[in-house]
Amino acid sequence: MNFWLQLGRGPLFAAAFAVMVLGLARLVLLTLFGVAENYRRSWDKIINWKEVAFQTTNWLVPVGRLWRRRPVYSTVSVLFHAGLLLVPFFAAAHVLLWRRSVGFAWGAMPQRATDVLTIIALLAGAALFIGRVGSSASRGISRPQEYFWLILLLVPFATGFLCSHAALTAKAYQTLMILHVYSADLIMALMPFTKLAHCVLAPLSQTVTAVAWKFPPGTGDRVAATLGCADCPTWLPKSRLERFPIDVSDARPEMTQPPPEVEPAAQEVTA
Amino acid sequence: MQPITIEERQKAFASVKKPEIIQRQRLPVRYHVEDFCVEDRPRRFLEAFAAILKHSNYRLALDHYIRVTAKCARCSVACQVYEATGDRRDVPCYRSELLLSVYRRHFTVSGVLRGRLLGDPGLTDEKVQEMADAFYNCTACRRCHFECPLGIDHALITHLGRYILSEIGIVPRALAVSVREQLIGKTGNTSAIPVPALLDSLEFLSESMQEELGVDVPFPIDQEGAEYLFLPAVSDFMMEADTLMGNAAVFRATGDSWTIGTGYYDGINYGLFYSDQVMEHVVKKIHAEADRLKIKKILIGECGHASRVAKYFYPSYCGQRPARPVVNIMEYTWQAWKQGRLKLKPGAIAERVTYHDPCNIARPGWIVQQPRELLKAICSDYAEMVPNGRRNICCGGGGGTVSIDEIRPFRTTVGGRSKAEQIRATGAKICVAPCANCKKQLRELMEDNGIDCQIVGLHDLLYKAIIFDSKETP
Repeated sequence: MNFWLQLGRGPLFAAAFAVMVLGLARLVLLTLFGVAENYRRSWDKIINWKEVAFQTTNWLVPVGRLWRRRPVYSTVSVLFHAGLLLVPFFAAAHVLLWRRSVGFAWGAMPQRATDVLTIIALLAGAALFIGRVGSSASRGISRPQEYFWLILLLVPFATGFLCSHAALTAKAYQTLMILHVYSADLIMALMPFTKLAHCVLAPLSQTVTAVAWKFPPGTGDRVAATLGCADCPTWLPKSRLERFPIDVSDARPEMTQPPPEVEPAAQEVTA
Repeated sequence: MQPITIEERQKAFASVKKPEIIQRQRLPVRYHVEDFCVEDRPRRFLEAFAAILKHSNYRLALDHYIRVTAKCARCSVACQVYEATGDRRDVPCYRSELLLSVYRRHFTVSGVLRGRLLGDPGLTDEKVQEMADAFYNCTACRRCHFECPLGIDHALITHLGRYILSEIGIVPRALAVSVREQLIGKTGNTSAIPVPALLDSLEFLSESMQEELGVDVPFPIDQEGAEYLFLPAVSDFMMEADTLMGNAAVFRATGDSWTIGTGYYDGINYGLFYSDQVMEHVVKKIHAEADRLKIKKILIGECGHASRVAKYFYPSYCGQRPARPVVNIMEYTWQAWKQGRLKLKPGAIAERVTYHDPCNIARPGWIVQQPRELLKAICSDYAEMVPNGRRNICCGGGGGTVSIDEIRPFRTTVGGRSKAEQIRATGAKICVAPCANCKKQLRELMEDNGIDCQIVGLHDLLYKAIIFDSKETP
């Protein structure tokens, strides 16, 4: 048992941490290079940087913005994120581990603050889960990973809280600690490859969108040429039909019916 | 607001197409499409997608969006279509995911590997049909962009999705026909107005202004070296006489030189709604006409999308030479009024007036305050809609859907539902909508929802309030 714990805390942690840092750095660099490349390719160099900066900071510092719409959901979400960001970095035990392993560390949060934030994160996570399942809009757009991530992110919080508070037998403590360490390792290792990458990419979103609307000149003609339609552009459907003739020999009968009406989803109160 | 009832839904989504056309085109969508090759549609969709990715700037945004999208559903509160239908397929994020999932599956390494491992067939014909439906439910108003914590612009995805679809032949016929006339037709504009008809109409307007105001208000034609080349939505020349008279009267009062070019006089650019190729070709027509007449600045009339295309895409396509500044007529009028070159009679309009922000010019925060200040100066009873300004609600006809007449029931019961409620709540008798598309949509909306409110342009009202210099007024 002890071996597994040491493995998770030692080499596996180092590997997962390296994957996280390098992977996220790669994403940031790729995005920045992409932005620069797009900007270079476009003739239009006019970008409202003030607006981009405003929108970016507005979402990173969610004061005022979030509470305007879906206030409950937004508040819960902000609390959840606050817990996720603060507890792993500033929990006293984590800071101690850092100091022990690399020789330096930063100031820790008081234990009480850690506890409060942990409980808030757990409750908020549960609320978000309920909100996701309970709202038809959220449920409709959720992929399996949306549920998976919410649960996986809460595992280290729950186990960490239990380990530092509950009166446990040595065996139970070790089991929980293994769960705590391995789930955290898994989260870090998966971070750059999943939607959690938004932890570093979100600040770049507004810039990306602003640059994406800058279209390079000549795109349309080059696309048409690549498709072999240089002489039959989209506004000449007849000439395009000559290039790609219509064939109705195997038209399926079910296509003659308009799509079936779907019952309107009941409006639900979104969490 | 209550979501639509089942009867309203059936009315809004009713198909007007003949079964044999649906069978031939294998496309059970509400709008008419000109015949296109249906053979191997998914493959051709992917080819078009690949070609566009190769030559354009979309790849960065798609890569970014598939990485950050957290599926939080916040955008659902911003979408007036979802608000009306309550159908999860109308949540902006769901709509975008249709295209993003294709990108993820076919154009990323992990997606291709996963597809191979799991035996995922990839893009199917049904999915192409679903996209053809979904991307024309969206009005590309970009309101959801403000609500996305991760900064995803669903309108960009809608634009790209429609572009890809257009490359395999799926374009609403209404848009394609207009663009054909504009790019290769005899008249060279979307409403097929020939030059003699244009000149006749302008002369008639000039004469009626002479009668009404007692001032000679000319429409300068083909004046070389003029400061402004005036390009309204071309339909204004036939249908919005009051707006045009207001525009001309403003220039009469300020004395700046402006001109309408007979070579090209259409501001409309449907390329913004479905094709970058069309957009570029139309913008270049504007550029050529401005070059021909040696114009200094381009002035777009009261039209939302025309202004946006000119301001934000003219530099993209004609920008290597120093691009000409692009000005909207409302901006111009407001500036002249601020500088004191234009005098307006306070309280000229007694009825309650409200202002509808066209998405394309209000969303970037470009033209929000200017028309309001002008309206407050001339109206004694001005009421605001809630929400307004940059966060306004779309009229329901954005993204070119207003030109598609066969989907009018959809536009007036679903797309414009929130807008109708908004206007009703203000109790206004006059709604100012300085956009040709918004005007048409709002008029149909008022008619179908039985709201007694007149839809006019900003310059229709200014026309009644302009004070000409005393020596000229009789």
